[in-house]
Amino acid sequence: MSAPPVQAPPAAATAPVPAPQSRRERRRQQRLAEREDGIPAEFYGLRRGTVPLLTGLAFVFAIFTLVPIAWIVINSTKTQANIFETFGFWFARPFSFFHNFSLLFQNVDGYGTYIQWFGNTVLYAALGGAGATALSAFAGYGFARFSFRGSRVLFYFTIAALLVPITALTLPLYLTYAKAHLINSIWGMILPSMISPVGIYLMRVYVDLSVPRELIDAARLDGAGEAKIFFRVALPLMVPGFMTVLLISVVAVWNNYFLPLLIFNINTRYPLTVGIGLWSERAQNSGNAQLFPMVVIGGLVTIIPLIALFLILQRYWRSGMLLGSIAN
Amino acid sequence: MTAVQRAAGRRRSTWIRRRDRRGIWFVVPFMVGFLLFMIVPLGYAIYTSLYTTKIIGGTTFSGASNYSQTVQSGEFWSGVVRVIIFACIQIPVMLAIAFFFACVFDLGVAKFGRTFRTIFFIPFAVPAVVGAVMWSFLLEPQFGPIVHLANAFGFSGTNFFSPSLLFSSIIVIVIWEWTGYNMTILYTALKSVPRDVVEAAILDDTPLWRIILRIKLPMVRSAIVMLVFLNTIGALQLFTEPLILSYFETGSVSINYTPTLYIFNTAIAGDQTNLAAAAAVILGLVIVVISVGSLLFRRRRGELA
Repeated sequence: MSAPPVQAPPAAATAPVPAPQSRRERRRQQRLAEREDGIPAEFYGLRRGTVPLLTGLAFVFAIFTLVPIAWIVINSTKTQANIFETFGFWFARPFSFFHNFSLLFQNVDGYGTYIQWFGNTVLYAALGGAGATALSAFAGYGFARFSFRGSRVLFYFTIAALLVPITALTLPLYLTYAKAHLINSIWGMILPSMISPVGIYLMRVYVDLSVPRELIDAARLDGAGEAKIFFRVALPLMVPGFMTVLLISVVAVWNNYFLPLLIFNINTRYPLTVGIGLWSERAQNSGNAQLFPMVVIGGLVTIIPLIALFLILQRYWRSGMLLGSIAN
Repeated sequence: MTAVQRAAGRRRSTWIRRRDRRGIWFVVPFMVGFLLFMIVPLGYAIYTSLYTTKIIGGTTFSGASNYSQTVQSGEFWSGVVRVIIFACIQIPVMLAIAFFFACVFDLGVAKFGRTFRTIFFIPFAVPAVVGAVMWSFLLEPQFGPIVHLANAFGFSGTNFFSPSLLFSSIIVIVIWEWTGYNMTILYTALKSVPRDVVEAAILDDTPLWRIILRIKLPMVRSAIVMLVFLNTIGALQLFTEPLILSYFETGSVSINYTPTLYIFNTAIAGDQTNLAAAAAVILGLVIVVISVGSLLFRRRRGELA
């Protein structure tokens, strides 16, 4: 029941638009006002071919986006010889997918076992992501709803860390670990992943938008402690922001390459990114060509969980993007 | 503030201040981690950069010598210049594509917008390592299917790893990786442009391209500024893509192709950690100067509130 029930009076009497208007024009205006979700394409007065043309351009870019994905799906079913000798964008016999897949459970040539790297990645991403989200939720709430001494300075300090490039932070971590004998420690990977200035920033913005001060004050008047207020009152309201930060942090750890590349030098600690990088280097430079099909299927199995996660949690990353665009 | 107000404020604030002080406990866990895993390592790196380790003679204080060695290193600066050129080409092209499609989907002037938006976003979920591996296979001079296609269309002997095309290949890969993400942010920003402004323009028979350039573009300017900023910081640290490409075609990418590669190879392969620390500090400073400088410049021009 969104349409105005009143019949539009003669245009000259109400509309601020100059008087002489065709009935078609008036109807167009009225229909435009009734649409709530968006302005339909026919209102832009486009030439006939424009919508197909723009759809076509989007289609071309979609092809560009999907070409590597299609390639990796197709080639995960090929033998090593066929990856090189047959046309890359079509299937070839024999169907080798299950054989290739089984290689992910073996330690071929002693460079490491994919399934172990997968487990490591899940562990690092789960602990690092959960930790980053929890710390961001606490700190974001603290910064947004309390003004203790130095809170502004600490917050600006955190934001300034966004400017420092990852390279200039990761190499120092490596040097520190080398000194502190933390090379090859999984905590050397997990703990720094929990420190997410972006997460703090997003949670602070989100708390500002979604947790009313009055609600917190009311809970305080009821005698609730600060911890209880956080967990019972604020946190439930923070869930969408919380999920966004979780998603962003998990992806960041899952895709991280530079830090694990520096700090791990035994292959049982590697995450997927470092393992696949090692395989591709060895396949080319040490003549271990049997690694090529493993690089391909390993790459495919690496991206599937994340793409699935994104498709399932679309709602949250959309709201996260919104957060990002409101925030400035 | 009058004296009365101040007195009232003081009375109220005793309670508030005591309460606010408790807020610090929400921030402490993060701050401890921030200190241990950012500030301490940074400090240690700066400390390290002031020393030199030699096989004979051990570690000695060498002051700014690592810095002067990096600053005078042509290899380091050629990498810095390369990533700056890279940023100047890749970011505008990518943002133009991203903004174009964000507008098209926001205006609803292409069919299947929702599906396209989801497809475009997929590369964001692909780790850079895997993205670079896939593109390396596709572009490989001997067996890459794209090279086969290029040959079939008459461009025989195309080598995407050759010195003349390598740079463009990396640009294509990075555009592939990040356009969807940037488009999604712009799309969300466009959604917040008030509808009635666009409606008024439509009723005035404003052509579509003018609606895009005169109404939509100015309203998402701050989002674009933020994206330029984030993408620049990312581009100046270019690392994964050239490293993986170099695995696939030995010798195609020099070990000092980008500053981060220089730092990585100096620290790991060259085992000169002190020198690498100095280079990391310098790279950090270069990036901070570029980003803060551009912020101040924009603020002076009144583009940022």
